[in-house]
Parts: sequence; C-alpha cells; structure tokens
Amino acid sequence: MARSLKKGPFVNYKLLAKVDKQTEENNKKPIKTWSRNSLIIPDFVGHTFLVHNGKAFTSVYVTENMVGHKLGEFSPTRKFLGHGGQGKK
Amino acid sequence: MARVLGVDIPNEKRIEASLPYIYGIGWVTSRRILEQAGINPDTRTGELTDEQLTKITHVIGSEGIVIEGDLRRNLQTNLKRLQQINCYRGIRHRKGLPCRGQRTKTNGRSRRGGKRTVGVVRNPNAKKGKV
Repeated sequence: MARSLKKGPFVNYKLLAKVDKQTEENNKKPIKTWSRNSLIIPDFVGHTFLVHNGKAFTSVYVTENMVGHKLGEFSPTRKFLGHGGQGKK
Repeated sequence: MARVLGVDIPNEKRIEASLPYIYGIGWVTSRRILEQAGINPDTRTGELTDEQLTKITHVIGSEGIVIEGDLRRNLQTNLKRLQQINCYRGIRHRKGLPCRGQRTKTNGRSRRGGKRTVGVVRNPNAKKGKV
C-alpha cells in the first residue's frame, strides 16, 4: 500500500538535518548514513551519501533522476560471484 | 481494412475487438473509447463511417491515451533512466532478472529465458578423497 500523502515523504530526521546544514554551509562532504529507507528528496540533489549496505559504505552521488527513489536502492546488499566450477577456488 | 491513427489497420471484426490491434489499447480502453465516442461496440469495423473513425481518433487524442511509437518510447526511456542511475531495479533489468523481488532459485523463466541446467563441475586435478 502506498504511503499516506498527509505524512509526506519519509526522510530520517537526523539525515535531513545534516543535509540542511550542509546546504546552508555550501559544503559537499559525503554524509555517512545507515538510513537506507530514506526517500531521496529534491534537496538532496548534488550531495554525496555513503550508504551502508550491511558491510561497507557505497558512495552515492545524487542526481535529479534519482529523486523519488530510496537511498538503499543504490547500495546493493548482495554480491553474486557466480556458481562454482573449474578455475574457481 | 480501416485505418485509425496512421499505421494501424484493424480488420473486419467488431470494432470493440479491432481497436486492441493498436499497441497500447486493450479491451478496457477500447470499450472506454467507444463509450466516449458513442459508438456501438458491436458494429463491424468495416461498417463504420469515416466520421465515426475520426471520432475515435479524436477520443484517443483527447483522453490522452498514449499508443504505438510514443508508448514504446516512453517505456524505453523509463528503462534507460533506471539503468543509468544504477539503482537496484536498473541493475536487475541489465542482468535480465526479475526486478520485483521474486524468487530466482526456481521459476522466473519468462525473465530468464529457457531452462539451462547448471551442474557441478569437478576440478579434474582433484583425486577422490583429496582436494
């Protein structure tokens, strides 16, 4: 079911505060975050996030096209290395 | 053979069944168009007057129904966008795997094509008991 419009998009409030602060200071340092379920809102465009995937942080540079997606969509949590076989250890 | 919106040539079926020959129009849309145009869905396409055909064209335009080339192009752009921003769905599309969280241990054959058997390939240097 879709989220109620009344509530508006979900963005972790701490993350939002950090982005707002950076925008004010015109600072583009990557923001480390675990909040994969935060929606990318237009204010995020141009910022870089380090999104946790359970093991490491993936660097995500937000462009206009990404608005409306969630941060986690850009940081895959699984790595498929192929099935076994010759030449593989 | 009647012509609606350029290339499409539905045949001598009932108009309700002919319109779905156009890419982007199914039964539901077809019925909606005919209702809007005030045409009996049971009329044979060949029996429609030119006026009625233009009426259909107009309804498709005014209802904002995207068909044929435009629709195909829209779909392509959406796909390209997903792949270009490198999001999960884009990656799945690139690999030709299901994008909506379906299982891939079994099934998913429509996305992944025909069945291919994956067996264990043994290391030829490995002797029994030692690896």
